[in-house]
Amino acid sequence: MTDRLRTALIGGGVALVVVVLLFIFGLQRALIFGLVGGATYSLVALGLVLVYKSSGVFNFAQGEFGTVAVFALFLLTTNDVPYGLAIIGALVVAAVMGLLTERLVVRPLFDAPRVTLLVASAGVSLLAIGVEIWFGEAKLRNVDKALPRQGRFKIFNASISDQELLLIFTLIVLGVLLALFFNRTNLGLAILGASQEPVATELVGISVRRLSSFTWAIAALLGGLAGVLTIPIANSFGPGALTAGVLIPSFTAAVVGGMTSLPGAFLGGIIVGVVQSVAVTADFLEDVPGQSSLSVFVVLVIVLTIRPQGLLGKSA
Amino acid sequence: MATEVTPEADETALVDTPDEHGHHAQPHTPSTAGWAGRGVVVLLISWLVLLFPLSRDVSDLRLYGLAVIYAIIGLSLNVLLGYTGQISLGHQAFVGIGAFASAYMVSVQGQPFFVAVLVSMVIGALQALVLGAISLRVRGLYFALITLSYGIMAEGTLFNIEKYTGGSAGQAAPLPEPFETPHKFYYLCLLFLAAVVWVDWRLMKTKGGRALLALRENPRVAATLGIDVKLYTLVAFVVSGVFAGLGGALFAHNSEIVVSNTYEFRLALVFVIMTTVGGLRSRTGVIVGSAFFALLGYLIEHEYTFPLVGWHLNIESLLAKLPGPDLTAELAPLVLGPLLLLITLIQYPGGIGQQLRPLTGWLRGNRFDIHDRGDKEVVVADVRA
Repeated sequence: MTDRLRTALIGGGVALVVVVLLFIFGLQRALIFGLVGGATYSLVALGLVLVYKSSGVFNFAQGEFGTVAVFALFLLTTNDVPYGLAIIGALVVAAVMGLLTERLVVRPLFDAPRVTLLVASAGVSLLAIGVEIWFGEAKLRNVDKALPRQGRFKIFNASISDQELLLIFTLIVLGVLLALFFNRTNLGLAILGASQEPVATELVGISVRRLSSFTWAIAALLGGLAGVLTIPIANSFGPGALTAGVLIPSFTAAVVGGMTSLPGAFLGGIIVGVVQSVAVTADFLEDVPGQSSLSVFVVLVIVLTIRPQGLLGKSA
Repeated sequence: MATEVTPEADETALVDTPDEHGHHAQPHTPSTAGWAGRGVVVLLISWLVLLFPLSRDVSDLRLYGLAVIYAIIGLSLNVLLGYTGQISLGHQAFVGIGAFASAYMVSVQGQPFFVAVLVSMVIGALQALVLGAISLRVRGLYFALITLSYGIMAEGTLFNIEKYTGGSAGQAAPLPEPFETPHKFYYLCLLFLAAVVWVDWRLMKTKGGRALLALRENPRVAATLGIDVKLYTLVAFVVSGVFAGLGGALFAHNSEIVVSNTYEFRLALVFVIMTTVGGLRSRTGVIVGSAFFALLGYLIEHEYTFPLVGWHLNIESLLAKLPGPDLTAELAPLVLGPLLLLITLIQYPGGIGQQLRPLTGWLRGNRFDIHDRGDKEVVVADVRA
C-alpha cells in the first residue's frame, strides 16, 4: 500500500508540475481542450480495457461499435424519431453488433491464439467500414447534438458546450459504475475470474460463454455511447469515423493506464488528450508535420520504454 | 542426401510428421505418364508467369509487377505473423519508408538502383530493430499497437518531411537502367521474389529458423529449452523489415513515383488480409493470396471472353445484381477482403495454401490426395500471448 501511495504522490506531483508549466507557457487553453478531447479517449479506452480484462484481446472493433451507432443515430434522427429514442435505438444497434461479433467471430475462435482474435476484430472493424462505404458512400454527414447549447461557460478562453459537459459527466458516472461493478458485484467478479481461470470458473458453475456475450455487449454499448456522445461535438462524420482518429489514441490511453485498469484508462485518456492538444497548439512544434499522431506515438514509446506495465497496471 | 528422409522443400509445414493415411510413409514414385502430367502443369504455370505477360500492354505489366511486389511484402509479413505470431499493423510505413529511401537515393543522391535497394533494406532492418526492442519488453501483443501507431505517425510526420520525400508532390523514382521498361522490370521483380523465397526457405532450415518454429509452438517450452525467445523474435522482425524495405523500393520504381498517400493505413490492412487469406507459413499460399489481392479490382472489372463458346463474363456486372447500391470494382475489395479474412480465420485457418495443398503435394511427386491438408493442422499462430 505504501508503494501505491508513493506512486500516487509522485504522479500527483508530476501532474502539478505539468499544469504549472503549461500555465507558464500560456498553454492553459490547450489544457482544457485536452481534457475534453481526452474524455473521448477515456470512454473508448474503458471499452478496450473491459474486453482486455475479460478475454485478453486487443479489440480493434471498439471504434466501429461507435461509428455504427452514430450511423444508426443519423438514420433515426433524419427520419424524425425523437432524439432520446434515437439514442436508445443507436445503443441497441451497437449492443446487437457486439453480441453478433461475439457469437459469430469471438466464440468460434474461443480457443484460438490471441493474435488470431486481434486480426479477427480488425476484420470486423474493416467489414463494418466496408459496408458503411458501400451503403453510405465515403462522404461526410452531419448529426445533431443531444444538447445544442454552445459556450455554456468559458475557462481560460476555451468555451465548453453542453454536449461536452454531458460527455464528461457520463464518463465519470460510467467510471464509478464500472469500478463498483468489478469490485462489488458477483457478475463483475465472475468476469475477472473467467479471464484468469476459465476452466476453474466453469467448474464452479459459471457459464464462461454467457459471460463472454455479456462482456462484449457491454463493451459495444460503451463504444456506442462514445460514438453518439463525441461525434456530434465535431458535428460531421464519415465511414470509420471513430477508427480513424480515435482508436489509436484510445489504445495508447489504455496502455498508459496499464491495459487492465479502469481508473488507468480514465487517467490515460486525459494524459493522451492533453499531450496531443499541447503538441498541436504549441509554438515550438509548429514546423513539425502531423504533430497529433506523432505525439501519441511518442507517448506510447515512452510508456513502453520506461513503465511497460502502465501507470496503474500490474507488473507485466 | 542419403540421410534425408523427410520430403524436401516442404512448403506448408516445416516440421514433418508422417500423415495419418500413411500415404507418404514410402515415397511414391510417379510413372512416366505421371511425370509428364506434372510437367504439363508446371509448364502451364511457367507460361502464365513468364510468357503471358509479354503479350500484355504496359499498364497491365505495372499491375503484374505490383502483384509480385505484394507477394514479397506478403512473405515479409508471413515471417512475423506466421513464424513468430506477432503482427505488424504498420507495414505500410515499412514499405513506404523503403520506397521513399530508394527514390531519394536514386533521384536526389544520384546513386545506382541496386545501392538504393540495399539502403532501403538496411533502413527496414533498423526500423524493425528499434520498434521490436521497445515492444518486446512487454509480454503480449504490444508490437501490434506500436507498429500501428508508428504507421499512422509515419503517414503524418515522416512522409511529409519535404527535404526527403518531396512533400505532397512526391519523389520521382525512375525505372532503373538495364530494366527501363515495365516488362523488364516485371522480370526483375520476379527475380527478387525468387531470392526472397530462397532466403526465407534457407533461414527456416537454420538453427534460428528451427528455434522460431519451436517458440511458435510454445514460447514457454522454448524458453525452458534455452531458446532466447526475445532474441529470435527480434531477428524475425529484422528479416521481415528487410523484406518490407525491398518490397518498398520495388514498389517505388514500379510506379515510377512515390507519393505519400499511396502508403495509407488501409494498405497495411490489405497486407494483413492477403497474408492471412493466403495461408500463414505456406509460401505458395502467401504468394498466391498476395497476388490475388493486388489484382482483385482488376479481376473484378475485367471482361472475360471464352472464344470457343462465345461467352462473356464480367464479375462487376454480376455484383451489380446484389441488393443495395452497386458494388463496384473499386468498392468490392473493401467488403470482400474483410469477409474473406473472417471466413479464413474461422473456417479455413490454413488459407489458400492449405486448399492448394493437394495440388502442390502432387506436383512434388506424391499421389494426388484431395484430402491432403498438409502434414500438420495449420493455425494462425500457436503463440499464446
